[in-house]
Amino acid sequence: MNTVWIILAPLIGGLLYGVERIVRARMQGRKGPPLLQPFYDMFKLLDKRPLLVNPAHVLLGIMHFITLWIAVGLIITGTNLLFVIFVHLLASIFLVASGFSVRSVYSHIGANRELLTMVAYEPLLILIAAGFYLKNGYFSIELIHEGEPLLGSLWMLFGALLLVIPIKLKKSPFDAAEAHQEIVGGVEVEYSGVYFEFLYMAKWLEYIFVYLLVILFAGNSVMMAIVLVSSVFLLVNLVDNATARVRIPHLIAITLGIGLTLSILNLIGVGYGL
Amino acid sequence: MDFSRYRKRSPWILHYNAGSCNGCDIEILAALSPRYDLERFGVLNSGNPKQSDIFLVTGPVTYRSRERLVELYNQMPEPKVVIALGSCTCTGGVFRGMYNVEDGIDRYIPVDVYIPGCAASPELIIDGVVQALDILEKKTKERENAKRLYSEPTTENGITDRSNSAQKIGTGGFSPEEMKPNSPERRENEED
Repeated sequence: MNTVWIILAPLIGGLLYGVERIVRARMQGRKGPPLLQPFYDMFKLLDKRPLLVNPAHVLLGIMHFITLWIAVGLIITGTNLLFVIFVHLLASIFLVASGFSVRSVYSHIGANRELLTMVAYEPLLILIAAGFYLKNGYFSIELIHEGEPLLGSLWMLFGALLLVIPIKLKKSPFDAAEAHQEIVGGVEVEYSGVYFEFLYMAKWLEYIFVYLLVILFAGNSVMMAIVLVSSVFLLVNLVDNATARVRIPHLIAITLGIGLTLSILNLIGVGYGL
Repeated sequence: MDFSRYRKRSPWILHYNAGSCNGCDIEILAALSPRYDLERFGVLNSGNPKQSDIFLVTGPVTYRSRERLVELYNQMPEPKVVIALGSCTCTGGVFRGMYNVEDGIDRYIPVDVYIPGCAASPELIIDGVVQALDILEKKTKERENAKRLYSEPTTENGITDRSNSAQKIGTGGFSPEEMKPNSPERRENEED
């Protein structure tokens, strides 16, 4: 069963991305593209003439996609949460390396910003894992899914996760790493045709990764998981539509300032058994 | 498998302003806005030449923008179509014959669809994009080159090198004397 879910993960992510484009359009009073639009984009990209910048660049992009898929697969199979977060970090590092492997200035700026956003969100992800450990005494995702819902005692860490989600999904106000039109997509600027598909699919996998983290807070309650994911989905898109992009120093200040405060307060509270 | 029918369903647009007055650019933004909502056809204003299918150019091509124009065109992977949007882009419009502009983009790159109008209305833009999609569907993956290049793209071990192709176009093949507005050489070149 797990294998099926792991294989289907990118496809589900694509559907989620299609739903999101419609939801975002409806919020703006538009009709929006068809649900399967992301897949049409994929088929079209297959039909383009491939332009190769250098082999390492493409290879690192593919490795980014595969490592991210492994990270998602590890969550689905229910291994160690901390391990998953570090595998995800490795995937991000491949992306940064691919950004630096070409000579494009935009790619370098994008890779730099990607690194800076990692500085902002990585401590929070690790503290979230630490929160689960302090509460339960284990990192195992499988056991977290069997336990009680932890949103009540870890709600501040959930708030920190809410700050991480727009960064990971490249949403306003925290989309400075990609910054469409401003730095032309950052690290993905030099990818084209078939090679861009891997980055495009990796974007879908990020959706799955992030929402699987959200589900962790719901424990064994399926109802709560559905409510959490759908409300976070709507909230993130509402904020995306309603806010402007912040600059990268502000992004780090806001995420670390608010996020670290929330998570450390939560950890202290859990440590004293509150 | 034949994926060419999906080209119509997800055209990504690269918009380049080659010295336009911004009138046409505002109309493009209007076409993307909720009232006309081009995104319902899968159109995306990508801003990245390497991931785009439609090259939407506005403006009469000032001397400073020529190299960028050719460079952007070269960086787009085939199949691709070019739309000249607005009177200036088609023929030079009110700027025709002036010393600081080229008269339209078709001196430098092959154009598939001409959209007249100053500024072209969003309805015309949508019409033009739909026309371009029909052309895009029929195009092959054959390499298409700009009309004037600094150096031809080279292919080595199956890898095509297109760098430097637009650098130092400079006077666009004209010598400084020929660049003067009414020089016989320039007029002759305009005729072909």
